[in-house]
Amino acid sequence: MLIEQLINGLTLGSIYVVVALGYTLVFGVLNIVNMGHGEIFMFGAFMGVVVTNSLELPLYVAFIIAIVVTAILGYFLERVALRPLRGKDGVSHLAPLISTIGVSIFLENAAHHLFGAGNKPFRTSFSDMSFTVGTTTVYYVQILIFVIAILLMAGLMFWLSKTKAGKALRASAEDLSVASLLGVNTKRMITQTVILASAMGGIAGILVGLAFNSVNPQMGLSFGLKGLAIIILGGLGNVRGAMAGGLILGLAETFVVAYGASGYRDAIAFIAIIVILIVRPQGIFGTATSGSRG
Amino acid sequence: MLSELINPYYLQIASFILLNIILGVSIYITLATGQLSLGHAGFMSIGAYTSAILTLNHNVPLVLGIVIAAVFTGLVGVIIGFPALRLHGVYLAIATLGFGEVIRVLFVNWENLTNGAIGIANIPHLGREILTLSKDIGFEPAALGLRNNQFISLAVFLLLLIITIAVIWFFIRQNNSRIGRAYASIKMDEQASEAMGINITYYKILAFGQGALLAGFAGALYAHMTAYISPSDFDYHRAVEILIFAIFGGSEVIWGPIFGAIFLSSLPEVLRSVSEYRFMIYGALIVFMMAFRPQGLIDMNVMNWLKRSKSKKKEGKHGTGSKENQ
Repeated sequence: MLIEQLINGLTLGSIYVVVALGYTLVFGVLNIVNMGHGEIFMFGAFMGVVVTNSLELPLYVAFIIAIVVTAILGYFLERVALRPLRGKDGVSHLAPLISTIGVSIFLENAAHHLFGAGNKPFRTSFSDMSFTVGTTTVYYVQILIFVIAILLMAGLMFWLSKTKAGKALRASAEDLSVASLLGVNTKRMITQTVILASAMGGIAGILVGLAFNSVNPQMGLSFGLKGLAIIILGGLGNVRGAMAGGLILGLAETFVVAYGASGYRDAIAFIAIIVILIVRPQGIFGTATSGSRG
Repeated sequence: MLSELINPYYLQIASFILLNIILGVSIYITLATGQLSLGHAGFMSIGAYTSAILTLNHNVPLVLGIVIAAVFTGLVGVIIGFPALRLHGVYLAIATLGFGEVIRVLFVNWENLTNGAIGIANIPHLGREILTLSKDIGFEPAALGLRNNQFISLAVFLLLLIITIAVIWFFIRQNNSRIGRAYASIKMDEQASEAMGINITYYKILAFGQGALLAGFAGALYAHMTAYISPSDFDYHRAVEILIFAIFGGSEVIWGPIFGAIFLSSLPEVLRSVSEYRFMIYGALIVFMMAFRPQGLIDMNVMNWLKRSKSKKKEGKHGTGSKENQ
């Protein structure tokens, strides 16, 4: 029982991590909370439904298509909602937040019209395949989700710390104008980051579809809000913080459901961020900066 | 004659537009000190539930219920305002968003008080209360040639019109007072206003409390206008909708959110055919506004221009032209 819940929690947590990483990347470089990320993620999940259910193609095709579609959406989001605001005089720092809210509303309702309002099942050939160790049942899907999440995290860490592009991204996160002076093409860097974050959202979308077997237009909102909560928990723009925050939230939610108060499951994330913001505004793993007072 | 002019359906829409104006003003007040709140739907729901529960379960008179609900929500706003002081910009937006979600989840789960996700029905209706009241004092709607439902819609509309005008009048007066100037200065530059001796803590919390009070008041009115509330009436979309009034109309002057509320709430009624795509249009509109006119449609310049063209007209009429002679 305990181990089963632990596995469920880790599965949920690793999905949250992948969602939260998308927010963290964009915030790290642009200092912008991308409210449209949840809806891009939801489009990724719907791509999975379309490919595996309607077209009856294998799962890996779903991953590829979801990544491509969400990357394109990310590109448009950057072009339409973020780029026009950059470097403009008299634009408040809240403008990008609000314009990405606009994108999220647009995408959510577009999904309503394109895919319908109800739940769509996400059936794959090995959704129900499981094996039993002792008394605990483990689904292959859970292992797949966990492995993909770990690969993504490790890949991202490696990319950020070891490659030239990762270095450029970290330099841009540190200071956009200085990075630009030192020869980083920051404009391209920003676009790349948003596209990368969105593609990770697409992957997360398929993972959620696999884990919960259902996809609907509202899920962008609920997962998106939790992703936001996680990056605040872990410290805005902090990649390691997002990983830890996601796993903590996944485990916490699973155990709250397992031990009674299942109705309050969705409130945990927000109660946690309200407490965190009051007690430790830089997040659990964030370093003390003037960020929260900026 | 009067009875043919009054269409309850249009009156109802007009009443909801007035309600949205009050909500627009409520978000304007918190924005006036530079605080972006996404928790106004939460405040609205607190007001709605407080008044609904008081009048239904405890037989509190309707007017008293609405007043208590507004004051209570204002107090909640003040309590939330203290931790909110430590947060700025994006952090405040997300924290208030979280607050709204926590309130919603609380109302869904607190079933013996709020009836959970099913919601509360049969809340005393504002118009029907007025009808029984006027019948008690011996006034029949038939005396004006009105049917009962026409009288109800008309009464609600007129009451809301009076309330809305009073609210707008109050905050225009406030804007020209010590408090309004303090708000404006805090919005411009917090450190500088602090150096000038403005008590930032006091005014920011006051603004938050005022905004919450007004949102709670609007929520209570909403409960008694629809006679039915459920937690999903006050979700994230409602919070964003309230914010859009201020974003679209502009948050620099009070007429901005008022215009935004009127325009955006009458839009789906005027364009019936596109009402299905209303939220998609909203979304595109927000992106468009941020890119091309981030301060909203109505800002200081527009107001000055309107004033100038008005005074020019006056000068032309009377032919004094005193300004040109100076």
